[in-house]
Amino acid sequence: MKTTPINDEQRAKAFAPNKKPEVMERQNLTVRYHVEDFEVEDRPRRFLEAFAAILRHSNYRFALDHFIRLSAKCSRCATQCQVYLATNDPDDIPCKRSELLLSVYRRHFTMAGSIRGRIFGTGHLTDEALQEMAESFWNCTACRRCTMECPVGIDHALITHLGRYILSEIGIAPRALVVSTREQLEGKTGNTSAVPVPALVDTLEFLEEDMKEELHVDIKFPVDVENAEYVFFPAVSDFLMEAETLMGIAAVFTATGDSWTTGTGYFDGINYGLFYSDRILERVVTKIDVETKRLNGKKVLIGECGHASRSAKYFLPAHCGGKDAFPVINIMEYTYGAWKAGKLKLRPNAIAERVTYHDPCNIARQKWILEQPRELLKAICADYVEMTPNREDNICCGGGGGTVSIDEIRPYRTTVGGLAKADQIRATGAKYCVAPCANCKKQLRELVEDQGIDCEIVGLHDLLYKAIEFDPSMIVEPEPEEDEAVEPVKPDVAGSADE
Amino acid sequence: MDALLEFATGPLFRLTFAIMILGLARILILDLYGMWEAYRKAGDKTIPWGLTISRTLEWIFPVKRVINHRPIYSIVAILFHIGLLITPTFLFAHVELWRSGLGFGWWTISPMLAEILTIATIALGLLLFLGRVGSRNARALSRKQDYLWPLVLIVPFITGFVCANLTVSPNLYQLSMLVHVFSAELIFVLVPFTKIAHCVLMPLSQLVSTIAWKFPAHVDEDVATTLNKKGAPV
Ligand code: SF4
Ligand code: SF4
Repeated sequence: MKTTPINDEQRAKAFAPNKKPEVMERQNLTVRYHVEDFEVEDRPRRFLEAFAAILRHSNYRFALDHFIRLSAKCSRCATQCQVYLATNDPDDIPCKRSELLLSVYRRHFTMAGSIRGRIFGTGHLTDEALQEMAESFWNCTACRRCTMECPVGIDHALITHLGRYILSEIGIAPRALVVSTREQLEGKTGNTSAVPVPALVDTLEFLEEDMKEELHVDIKFPVDVENAEYVFFPAVSDFLMEAETLMGIAAVFTATGDSWTTGTGYFDGINYGLFYSDRILERVVTKIDVETKRLNGKKVLIGECGHASRSAKYFLPAHCGGKDAFPVINIMEYTYGAWKAGKLKLRPNAIAERVTYHDPCNIARQKWILEQPRELLKAICADYVEMTPNREDNICCGGGGGTVSIDEIRPYRTTVGGLAKADQIRATGAKYCVAPCANCKKQLRELVEDQGIDCEIVGLHDLLYKAIEFDPSMIVEPEPEEDEAVEPVKPDVAGSADE
Repeated sequence: MDALLEFATGPLFRLTFAIMILGLARILILDLYGMWEAYRKAGDKTIPWGLTISRTLEWIFPVKRVINHRPIYSIVAILFHIGLLITPTFLFAHVELWRSGLGFGWWTISPMLAEILTIATIALGLLLFLGRVGSRNARALSRKQDYLWPLVLIVPFITGFVCANLTVSPNLYQLSMLVHVFSAELIFVLVPFTKIAHCVLMPLSQLVSTIAWKFPAHVDEDVATTLNKKGAPV
């Protein structure tokens, strides 16, 4: 991949100060994301206290010991980081970013380091170093691409993750994420977009009517159905912004006849804990477990969302019962399985325009979901092209690691973080870029807009919606204008729970 | 000088070699123990062995990824590793020493191959050093040890080469031999305490990161209690 680093003008735009001077002074923090007011005094000491507490109770220590012993400083990872490729600033080399935290660990939490530090009186964590971490760890999108290229296997995303976690314990975390999470864990609506249940139900009914009008099929969004096979948790923002994706998913279930439901007790797959705090991660993922139990569902189904899928798949077992936890599957796995099993019929060449596929880091890097969406797309698209690199080597959209939700850093995301991705998309010449992730979709839409690329960002199910062949028995006659009751030919296929 | 050489090849060799082996064993055991502890605490104990092992092998036999990025530097680095390991381990003269000490030896490489490998390793070490000095990225990361290691590592090769080939002057031979042995022993001592420890740790890296992402089940409550934040709002 060749990316031309940004020029001075772009740099000025990406890094333009975006906070009131009085706020920066009050918080003594130069980062570009907004932070709620926090205790500024004595930050380094409190950082070390939080670090110590986390080391004591978590599983990071042995990994940090491992990493500090073998870092080779070969600079290979520099060739991978889309942030560094754009900024060309050595501070953005992954190994250097990680060293910010590793050096604190070495100095304060290893015997050799603290002895050396005491003798020479050096290396004590300073407020400047702390600020540098606050900046650097949120420049990284935690995409883990660098880790793939490190010969000695240093996991920079783990280090970024830990660094952000410790910072959050002293009050330094992007306000956007904290406020949403507060609503999700403590607010009335219990979800990150503050969608009240009546609004949810209204939206779903509205979409049902829309689909009936468009496809003449009675497609339902079953709500609060007990004993369903799948309890559905999309990124809650999908209910506001990704109607097409949701419609595609509902259409798939109608065609297959499997039972699924959305629960009004909790219907948000988003878990910002994955981006800034293990404690939050645990609390949020537990809500999925509680709701699935309440409905007596069998499996957790996550919508088109990378981080929601990863946080549920890997952390539901961690925090909610190990191997007895609910199985987690992503909607693309479900749809692919149904199609392969012959339960879902798709129309070849339903999409004539050129289509490409963006792999969300959170589901691709560990080779979890790579081929399923591709096969589905090839089945319905006349002109499908790959971007390179792809699959587990994909390039991050530039909004990973929660940064996409931080609106105030959009110029940074679309000039720095997303630069390499923009080049990639442009090179495909695609009309549609399929990005099966709420975060990627938002970031890529802003990216193509800011970079002036003529490409529409859609979900996988947005396209599948246009290609599903329903059984003729499902087609209902259009209703007469006066809306006099005409019963659907085959009512409520989706809602039946005992398939 | 004879006595010194005798000491260097006798007791000092045994001591430094033991330091290396025990030092490496120590960090390996610590690493494995840390991993085991973490695994025990982990809420989810499933390990994706297939992916972990295949990614480990990808880097132990680094053929798949080298060509994509920094190909020349990578190939130099790989060949350097090969020279570094093969030459001293399978050199006839070394194996004979082991045989006299241990009572058994092993397969050896031909003198010709040994010569080629020695020269190649020296050249590759120099290239690695220059590659580091010449690369802006590498300079941004490098510590002192990163510059020094390739140079230190080729000292026993240079002196070994001198001993094997330039035998005209006994004094030169003895001096080179002394430097040869001492430099090798210095390396032995440093291995477990510097980045060269990757020789035993690197194969575990993928597993380390897999397990590190396996969080303990009740981290929220424990960390919050320690930090006096129990029940505190988000
Ligand atoms: S690739 Fe690994 S060892 Fe090399 S500089 Fe990057 S983190 Fe360090
Ligand atoms: S995780 Fe991604 S963004 Fe962060 S340092 Fe690595 S390559 Fe760069």
